[in-house]
Amino acid sequence: MTPGASQRIGGLVAKDLAELSRNPGATVPPILTAIAAMVPAFLITIVTPKISGEHVADAQELQRAAQRAAELLPELGLLAPNAQVQAFMFQQFALFLLLVPVVGSMALAAHAIIGEKIARTLEPLLATPISTIELLVAKTSAPFALTLALMWATLLVYVGGIAAVAEPDVWRALVGTRVVVMFFVVGPLISLVSLQLAIVISSRVNDPRSAQQLGALIILPVTGLFVAQLMGGFVVGVNALLAIAAGLAVVNAGLLYLGARVFQRENILMRWK
Amino acid sequence: MAGELVRAQSITRRFDSRVAVDALSFELSAGEILALLGPNGAGKTTTLRMLGGLILPTRGSVDICGERLTGRTAARLRRAIGMLTETPGLWDRLSVRRNLLTYAHLYNITKPRQAVDRALEIVGVLDRAADLAGSLSKGLRQRVAIARALLHNPQIVLLDEPTAGLDPASARHIRDVIAGLRAEGRAVLMCTHNLTEAESLGDRIAILNTRLLALDEPDALRRTLSGTRVEIDVEGAAGDAATIVKSFTAGGLEVRGAKLVLTSVDANLVPDVIAALVRGGIRIRRVTPEQRSLEDVYLALVNEREEVA
Repeated sequence: MTPGASQRIGGLVAKDLAELSRNPGATVPPILTAIAAMVPAFLITIVTPKISGEHVADAQELQRAAQRAAELLPELGLLAPNAQVQAFMFQQFALFLLLVPVVGSMALAAHAIIGEKIARTLEPLLATPISTIELLVAKTSAPFALTLALMWATLLVYVGGIAAVAEPDVWRALVGTRVVVMFFVVGPLISLVSLQLAIVISSRVNDPRSAQQLGALIILPVTGLFVAQLMGGFVVGVNALLAIAAGLAVVNAGLLYLGARVFQRENILMRWK
Repeated sequence: MAGELVRAQSITRRFDSRVAVDALSFELSAGEILALLGPNGAGKTTTLRMLGGLILPTRGSVDICGERLTGRTAARLRRAIGMLTETPGLWDRLSVRRNLLTYAHLYNITKPRQAVDRALEIVGVLDRAADLAGSLSKGLRQRVAIARALLHNPQIVLLDEPTAGLDPASARHIRDVIAGLRAEGRAVLMCTHNLTEAESLGDRIAILNTRLLALDEPDALRRTLSGTRVEIDVEGAAGDAATIVKSFTAGGLEVRGAKLVLTSVDANLVPDVIAALVRGGIRIRRVTPEQRSLEDVYLALVNEREEVA
């Protein structure tokens, strides 16, 4: 990067944020995802038992799964049976919240990049002293920052909701190393994968929705992991999350290489049509 | 050359097997407007992009302010260049001022607000600074795009069809702005399809159709490429007059009753021809010099090139 890079990147990021603030449609998919990712946990763990007049701990299978999980997550072991199962369920569903950075990054980046293509505003940008790497950083910074903010806000609402409606201390059992790794290591890395994929896809398609649909493919591994977790009754622990983080870092490195090749001035100008 | 800001030396640009621009050479000096004419697909926009450092030539070189434009120097040299792209490319959801402020940051301008106001004032849209870019008419959008190109006070201004699709009043205003750029000592390269505009604004005109077909001042271009056409009306039959004229010029000569039509004649010879006719006892009723229009010259050159191709 050359002198003045921070001013150039900052100017473009501020512009992207201003544009997004005037385009609420672009922020709808990530917000809906955040809501959709939170609701099932509360429906299954709190609402359904309330309606049926039972406790989640009455389900023997869930109780056994919670006890097994307590071996991996000691904070669960300190809770009463019903609180333990609730905490187990909320831990399981926490993985679902990782859909927020996936969908958020893809949706916002697709708008930030393809939006420029559609509006034909890329060429004037390329005629300025901004380097392609600065442009790449600028175009991914706003979606990245917004997505992380949304993911952490979702987490806050999730934990706050648990504190409000679940058994006492369930929320405390949630705030541990696992959640920290999940939302402060895996979350940002998965967001970066999604962003970089958006850049690669954006170079080939001209419609933000197409990019989002193609990008939605990376929802599958997250969903798959979640479903496997439920079916198998296991918990993706801290070590597994760190292994996933390492895998994501490798994928990010590969995508960075690919993105840098795709995101060349001449490519953008001549082939991004 | 003193004040030379742009030098293109035999620049060629290929896209796979297609040659967009072939061995184009020219210079552009401070306070000069060079109008680049050519049919669609002639390589005008590609030329502008090469000069603006957006793409590099496949062969040949471009010097900007005496420095070679390369992948390494392009970002720095782009500071000396203001570029109006084919479409205004404004962010419609943002105000005019916000649009330009973003570019002020991209150019690392120290007093961005002042620079934005100054640029908007030059193109006469300062009163619309708070409006959303998307709410502006096509002419106003184009003016804002020109303001954006002038924001960082560039020495070189590259304009891609600055008045295309504009109403006469808007086009006139933009032409005035462009003339003002010359007066300020900037070097302007302007692509256009508008021959009248090229003729009225261009100090020199380049005609491009992948290759450079011609490059000269408008008058010289017409003269050198078509010569002067002169009609001479004489009293009586023009046969004797034709005999006299033939001894002066190798250009075309046609006799139509009492009228002689000289084509491709050197304009400097016309007074001598008239004097010789008078000395020969020919009574002349009227002499009508007629130069071919730039459009004729342009079409002749482009068609000739296409026939060759």
